[in-house]
Amino acid sequence: MSRQGEPIADYNPRYWRTLDELANTPEFREWIAKEFPHGVDLEGLSRRRWLQLMAASFTLAGFAGCRWEKTEIVPFVHRPTGRIPGKPERFATAMDLSGEVTGLVATCVDGRPIKLEGNPVHPSSLGGTDAFAQAAVLQLYDPDRSRDVIARSDGQWVVRSWEDFTAALRERVAATSSGEGWVFVTGATSSPTVRRLRKLLEQRWPKAQWFTYEPLHDDFVRRGTREAFGVEARPVYRLNQAKVILALDADLFFESTGHVRAARDFAATRDGNPDRMSRLYAVETRWTLSGSSADHRLPLSPGEISAFVDALENCLATLAAGESLPDIGSSPDQSPEARYRAVFLKAVAEDLWQYRGRSVVAAGNWLGPEVHAAVARINKRLESLGGPVVYLPVSDPMTARTAESLHALHELLVSGSVQNILFADTNPVYSAPLAMKLNQLIERIPFSAHLGLYADETALSCRWHIPMAHFLEAWGDAETWDGTYTVVQPMIAPLWGGKSVIELLSLFLDANKNAQDWVYETFQARYPHSQAADWERCLAQGLFREENRQLNSLTELANTAKREIPGDAVERFVAGEKSTGNSVSVLLTADYSVYDGRFANNAWLQEWPDPVTRLTWGNAAVIGVETARGLDCKDGSVIRLEVSSATLDLPVVVVPGIPPRTVVVSLGYGRSAAGHVGGLVRENIPPVGVNTYALRSDASQFVFSGVKVTKLPRNQPLASVQDHHLIDRVGLQGRVERLGELVREVTLERLTDPHEPYSAEEVVHHPPLESLWPEHTYDGHRWGMAVDLSKCIGCGACVVACQAENNIPVVGPAQVMRSREMHWIRIDRYFTGTPENPRTVHQPVMCQQCEMAPCEQVCPVAATVHSHEGLNDMVYNRCIGTRYCANNCPYKVRRFNYFYYHKDLDNPRNEVQKMVYNPEVTIRSRGVMEKCTYCVQRIQNAKIEAKNQRRPLIDGEIQTACQQVCPAQAIVFGDLADPSSAVAQLHQSNRAYGMLAELNVKPRTKYLARVRNPHPALQAIEYREPAATHEHGA
Amino acid sequence: MGSASTISRQPEVDNTMSDPTSRPPLVLGQHDFATVTETVARIPERPGTTLAWKLSFAVAASLATMFVVLTGYLFVTGIGIWGNNSPVFWGFPIVNFVFWVGIGHAGTLISAILFLFRQHWRTSINRFAEAMTVFAVVCAGIFPAIHVGRVWYVYWLLPYPNPMGMWPNFRSPLLWDVFAVGTYMTVSVLFWYLGMIPDLATLRDRATRPLPRLLYGLFSLGWSGSARHWHRFEKAYLFLAALATPLVLSVHSVVSFDFAVSLIPGWHTTIFPPYFVAGAIFSGFAMVVTLMVPAREFFGLKDLVTLRHLDNMNKFILATSFMVGYAYLIEVFMAWYSGNKYELFTFINRALGPYAWAYWTMVICNVAIPQLFWFKKCRTTPWIMWIIAIFVNIGMWFERFVIIVTSLSRDFLPGSWALYKPTLIDFLMLIGSFGIFFTLFLLFCRYLPMVAMAEVKTVLPQAQVHHRHAAEEHAPSELEYAR
Amino acid sequence: MFKPYLPLWFDRARPIFGALLLFLPLYLLGVAWFAADPQTIDIGYSPAQPVPFSHALHAGELGLDCRYCHTTVEKAAHAAIPSTEICMNCHDRIAANSPKLALVRESYATGQPIPWVRVHDLPDFVYFDHSAHVNRGVSCVECHDRVDRMDRVYQAKTLRMGWCLECHRNPEQHLRPQDQITNLAWQAGSPEEQQRIGEELRRKNNIQPSTSCSTCHR
Repeated sequence: MSRQGEPIADYNPRYWRTLDELANTPEFREWIAKEFPHGVDLEGLSRRRWLQLMAASFTLAGFAGCRWEKTEIVPFVHRPTGRIPGKPERFATAMDLSGEVTGLVATCVDGRPIKLEGNPVHPSSLGGTDAFAQAAVLQLYDPDRSRDVIARSDGQWVVRSWEDFTAALRERVAATSSGEGWVFVTGATSSPTVRRLRKLLEQRWPKAQWFTYEPLHDDFVRRGTREAFGVEARPVYRLNQAKVILALDADLFFESTGHVRAARDFAATRDGNPDRMSRLYAVETRWTLSGSSADHRLPLSPGEISAFVDALENCLATLAAGESLPDIGSSPDQSPEARYRAVFLKAVAEDLWQYRGRSVVAAGNWLGPEVHAAVARINKRLESLGGPVVYLPVSDPMTARTAESLHALHELLVSGSVQNILFADTNPVYSAPLAMKLNQLIERIPFSAHLGLYADETALSCRWHIPMAHFLEAWGDAETWDGTYTVVQPMIAPLWGGKSVIELLSLFLDANKNAQDWVYETFQARYPHSQAADWERCLAQGLFREENRQLNSLTELANTAKREIPGDAVERFVAGEKSTGNSVSVLLTADYSVYDGRFANNAWLQEWPDPVTRLTWGNAAVIGVETARGLDCKDGSVIRLEVSSATLDLPVVVVPGIPPRTVVVSLGYGRSAAGHVGGLVRENIPPVGVNTYALRSDASQFVFSGVKVTKLPRNQPLASVQDHHLIDRVGLQGRVERLGELVREVTLERLTDPHEPYSAEEVVHHPPLESLWPEHTYDGHRWGMAVDLSKCIGCGACVVACQAENNIPVVGPAQVMRSREMHWIRIDRYFTGTPENPRTVHQPVMCQQCEMAPCEQVCPVAATVHSHEGLNDMVYNRCIGTRYCANNCPYKVRRFNYFYYHKDLDNPRNEVQKMVYNPEVTIRSRGVMEKCTYCVQRIQNAKIEAKNQRRPLIDGEIQTACQQVCPAQAIVFGDLADPSSAVAQLHQSNRAYGMLAELNVKPRTKYLARVRNPHPALQAIEYREPAATHEHGA
Repeated sequence: MGSASTISRQPEVDNTMSDPTSRPPLVLGQHDFATVTETVARIPERPGTTLAWKLSFAVAASLATMFVVLTGYLFVTGIGIWGNNSPVFWGFPIVNFVFWVGIGHAGTLISAILFLFRQHWRTSINRFAEAMTVFAVVCAGIFPAIHVGRVWYVYWLLPYPNPMGMWPNFRSPLLWDVFAVGTYMTVSVLFWYLGMIPDLATLRDRATRPLPRLLYGLFSLGWSGSARHWHRFEKAYLFLAALATPLVLSVHSVVSFDFAVSLIPGWHTTIFPPYFVAGAIFSGFAMVVTLMVPAREFFGLKDLVTLRHLDNMNKFILATSFMVGYAYLIEVFMAWYSGNKYELFTFINRALGPYAWAYWTMVICNVAIPQLFWFKKCRTTPWIMWIIAIFVNIGMWFERFVIIVTSLSRDFLPGSWALYKPTLIDFLMLIGSFGIFFTLFLLFCRYLPMVAMAEVKTVLPQAQVHHRHAAEEHAPSELEYAR
Repeated sequence: MFKPYLPLWFDRARPIFGALLLFLPLYLLGVAWFAADPQTIDIGYSPAQPVPFSHALHAGELGLDCRYCHTTVEKAAHAAIPSTEICMNCHDRIAANSPKLALVRESYATGQPIPWVRVHDLPDFVYFDHSAHVNRGVSCVECHDRVDRMDRVYQAKTLRMGWCLECHRNPEQHLRPQDQITNLAWQAGSPEEQQRIGEELRRKNNIQPSTSCSTCHR
């Protein structure tokens, strides 16, 4: 390393200006040897795209045809067998997000992973993924990832080498035989190899201390299950077996174990088939994905939820005793609210009981242990254990997402007995309660090292920082909740010579074994009888299939599980909690974009709108309509939250359906050392959002009651992608009037009414539609799409998938505020019902590829025209940017490049980010229109493939990016010309309708009406309010 | 020239009375051919320029420069510097475009249609109006050109054979625009220039200094005023008038197609073509009055541009104001009558939504205020009519703003609604376009004959056949030339 | 008193001025037109290559099949430029120490690739796929012309969109039996013959070349 030992004032990653500069580093040699030749192997498509990216300004593309741009073709010297330049290759791997595993298939072009898909044969995903997995590739190529081993000597950061570190480490290791004074801190992981390494190390060093730390912990769940079963366990839900589901602020499709699979299983029960159709009740404080896909949702403040659970347990006890529930919801002196609660409780209890054995009760991680214990008992009583609900004992400490450890760690550090500390893939300094002053404690320790993707808050208080290898760069393995052994393969050699946790730990054991050896050893140890072929298959499929593996699910309650429930629990719940002055309770939640903060520097996720608040780039205090009225707040007005430990100033977002006197804020923002995207104080880049961990204390982690809240006299604009400005009365009225036609809903009852067959098309009556132009005719394919609103859970993975597939630029908060976000697919979120207790619906809207496309008729230069397969082609290189097409698009799905949004790539330090681009898709320049193309690049390549093989296309062979990622399989794409194709079938469904079809644009994308399965008693109340009140912000 | 100046210093004479027994004079004062020439030609021949002119030119020119600089910035940075967003993809630039095209209507109307209808009172104002038309269309032409995302490819709008084998899309109203505005521009310029030739010749003959003499000489194309020249001239003028007349209707109809042909609620209306044309004439006349009132004051043209002229124009304004008002009403009625909820919402949203202020500004300026022209006092008092005309200009700009912005900001899917916030640069470029307009206009006033001398002479009593001696006095230059 | 402000010849020359005014623009336009013509601009580009490789020799005289070096042409969008390895297959024996091959040997030894200069270059927004054409009876010669006669490869066709479209609109004149794809010399007896063969092949292989934009632009 050339600049070794040279001091740099404050740590700044070293950015290569030219390839040559980088070329004299060993990492680069290794890298170039392994990957880069393909990386810059300027052959074929990849070469074109590469050139394009390298071009100083993209406008060069316009001149590419000029006379004559001298470009070189650099072929292999030895081409690896089977490697065809420019042809994508696919390898199985997996992503382990603090113990939660998603099986993946990575698409690599010329040695660069550019896209991740769910592994269809992997039980955790069955082909879908969440947004985090989609954004992982951007993280891999994040220019802000730390690139050097750095060390702090007398306050200065110095670039060192891996060898220096190992030398220093060896010294420290030699000093002890028992591990005295050594502390290891890691994040939760499911990796069997890491766990094995820990065990080995523990045997060698009995005195060494180990801590696993996850700020978004499930301690309460495990405590609750300990109370119920006597052992710590983790609940897993198999929703495809469920008929009635009760989610107690449980985010089934985001936080719960196996969430991607859960979405698939749930969606399978929502297609309007009365035998399968499930009913989902959500009782929650915040808006979870479960809440927004629920049939009934009861907003309760954090305190009331446990009251509800008690009441429910009583009701079930009554029912179990064979008695029927007392009529609690009909006394005339009850407030309507109380009556509603009573009816709701009764409905839930009876429903659960009626379908016992097929009913699920799930509770959110933040709820107290007693709630989880109660939930376990309820599930037991409902005879669901081992069926739709599975409680799996948490055997290994490393798989547990715990934060309790932090307390112990803190005490240990205070005691001063710690001589050496090692942080691996964890960032406690950022998320720990401020009062702990972890950073100061760590700085005092003689030897402290941090292994991480970024030189983050924790790294900066250590003495050493080692760049960590991204999971796409390193060997590893993982284990899903059901014990499926999953292998993690590297797709590319470490870009910056990063090391994985395995490699770090192996330093203490056997330095001359590499990660692959360790993983293979684990595999062999785990499957002694396996052959080499099994390993090969394991690598090929990404997992090892075991025949008849049993889940050791807990089914028997421990006798400690008994608990006295006050007899008047029901009455107490129905009465509701009394208002307590102007103090509110605050709930901290995981963030849909940045999770616990680890994705703060991922621009795709930062700009990815929250499913319900539709907020991008930062967090905000989410409050209900009543609270807003009480505080006289509007979207964007700033409030101050004061707890004993800290005060926070946050902008407000008013969202209907958040209970009164409650503030919901997400964690993970306000990073001071995330990077150039998420905030980098040392380079005066302000943090995005507010660090709400600041509220945390040893005592309380998620819920804070009696928080003093005051409105500040200032406003802060919010980067929201919907309701850009507070909607006025006229707007609300107009929205309410059209909503029923845009997003069509039907109750199961109506859908299955034998006397009067339902047809979504007939919701809108219009005169016969006659076309001005002769309509197109087709002899070949006719591509089309169907979006099932009933299956869509609004998780938004499709948005990121589309962004990754189609090289969609990130525009930043300022542009989002100007309403110029570029996402090709957006998920409109609408509320119906009362502001206090609304229902939501999510509607993915992408280009509908209209048959009589209004955009095509108005483009003066014919830059958007109809293809012979019915696609609405958008030709970037012909577009001159009159934007007439976008004006004339009734769906407003066209996006315009108001600026040159790839400018940041001209900065040498961002070179590496160019590797994320999909070579199959042109990168759009400034001043051109762009839009969803049904992933035409996938269509074309599949067609050529099939033709070369002289065979017809198979239905389902072509998947659009959004379809492929969708965990709920709500999106189906295919050939309408083939009546047997899945999409053609769906277009025939009586739920199918074309949005705004009355305009005679003949959309090719049809929506399937959302099926709701309301409980009759509740339906009678909920679905009755006058339309005018159906909105928030009024 | 003393006489002329004394004439202009006399108090205003009201010649707006309509006395059945005698034709009201179109030219006041004791004017004969010579004095008319004198009054008009004096202005470009004046050796130095007045301070007032210098100042106003300085202001206008610097605004124009600002516009040019901003355009440069625009080309380098991208149109993101404007407030346009999604869904409001068209903002100020197109508003300004439609506004200026509208202004550019009175010219052709006055010169062509009134000419065909033998409205002699047009003679003293048509030159003026035509000039204004040309300059307005110049301003109008700039905006659509620079508002495209990749201005360096704007030539793709023209149909020409090319190696791509691509042709423009002839279904697109924007393309029709290119042709319509292009044609209109050409014809207006021709019309203006052709009409100016005899006067240029006059200036040429009167010119004493070599440069003006050379330039006027070049541009008067060797006009000798011979009977043959006059014959050809009047033929050509008549043809052009006939040619231009349909354009008056076509141009703004085509511009209105940009909206009427699309399917956005509030745009998708069959009433747009007549509505736009009426509005255009409305704003055109308003602009003529706005410019004419001060011009006749400063340049002493009160005898030629008499109160009667202004009175007539104000009557036009009043009439067209009614047409516009009717259009506003009928739009709302049709929205309700069609039973189309999106259409209806758009109009409710215009009147009561976030842009209500713009809507009501439009209605007040365009419908309410012009009603003052019912009163003769308002029609014949220059400063009053000037203020009213200003309001009409403002109102007409807002009309275009309302049509474009309100419809786009809330169209079909509430999920894609968003308000439009113009940026500072939007405003600066709007002002800048006025800079360009006035720069050109001031140059015109200074260096070209503001009133069509030759034509005005034809409406003088002396021009009647029985004035024998008048024939000799007529165009002395011509006689000399013959010698 | 009145003196002419322009010499009299100016008046007489007026018709000439008129003529100039009319024809000069036309003339300039014409010049510009031909200057900008693809024929003028695109054809004939023939950069010097780092290694003086002669297609005339290898493909022509020796009659090597195109696919011997451009191995992926039938499988992938891009007809891969041969790796050094392929050159060395022969040249470790043949002309083993010819100075011309110094760079090749060096590359083989050091592993540094040979920086060939691209001759046929399409704009970056054009997605051309070799396999799609070569597998459907479109010969190399259609776009690359008689490479087997070129000592140093040059661009022989305009490769402009209009040119592509000609073939996509009526391919019959450009189709040949699959086994003759890399036989650059192959020709049907006569245009009529070619037409017949073309139509037959088109029917047989169900060739409907698309002229939709998304066929090449995405």
